[in-house]
Amino acid sequence: MNVTSSTVDSIIVIEASGSIDSKTAPEFERTAMAAVQGQKEVIIDLTNVEFLSSAGLRVLLMIYRQVKAKSGKVVLVGTSEEIQDIMANTGFLSFFSTADTMQEGIDILKAA
Amino acid sequence: MERKTFPGTLDSLEGIRQEVKEESQRVGLSKKATYNLLLAIDEIATNIIMHGYEENDKSGVIDLQIDHRDNQIEVTLEDDAPPFDPLQHTLPTEEFFNKPLEERPIGGMGIHLTINAVDKFRYEFANQRNRNIFVVKVGDA
Repeated sequence: MNVTSSTVDSIIVIEASGSIDSKTAPEFERTAMAAVQGQKEVIIDLTNVEFLSSAGLRVLLMIYRQVKAKSGKVVLVGTSEEIQDIMANTGFLSFFSTADTMQEGIDILKAA
Repeated sequence: MERKTFPGTLDSLEGIRQEVKEESQRVGLSKKATYNLLLAIDEIATNIIMHGYEENDKSGVIDLQIDHRDNQIEVTLEDDAPPFDPLQHTLPTEEFFNKPLEERPIGGMGIHLTINAVDKFRYEFANQRNRNIFVVKVGDA
């Protein structure tokens, strides 16, 4: 698993790749939580994430809470059909906006 | 397939998923069913490692066995941690899933995901070992 954070048009973009399981989730959590501190516009790019377990869902939940506390918004970009199914199954999906591409994600945040 | 033994540590999760993925693809399990099977196994293996071994200050192994017969794939995980039946674990209720994410307790989703991800899941305690068995039908999408 790799995770990076960057800023695009004042939006915080967290990009992960590989597998987010109980082994790798702590690193995802550290990088993501540090990056979203005090931020209101956040994109999590999951395009290259091939596997996400409940440990990864837990981190998404923490990010959501942090951003929501600032009345902000989190958009998930490129979430695979399999991961979207799991998120729907656990009631997660309805709390996030989803977009197929980064540009679409940026548009959603800028329109808000 | 012959039995493969992995150390009961989080480093083993990827290797266990890889074995199951290769075998699932070999027998023609659909992409989605394969993903769900990997998820179920990962959740239970994580529980074995973190709650079965680490929390009890024990170290041990996870044995992985994959069988393909009668149009189904059956994956068995066996370990030597203290007896633990995931099905006796309290499942999150509907109330849990109806709660906004801000108010939900963190955790408690793993077993729910597991049960929903495979056609059959069962637990046995036999020969002083925990045995978690996952069954998925092959062929129907």
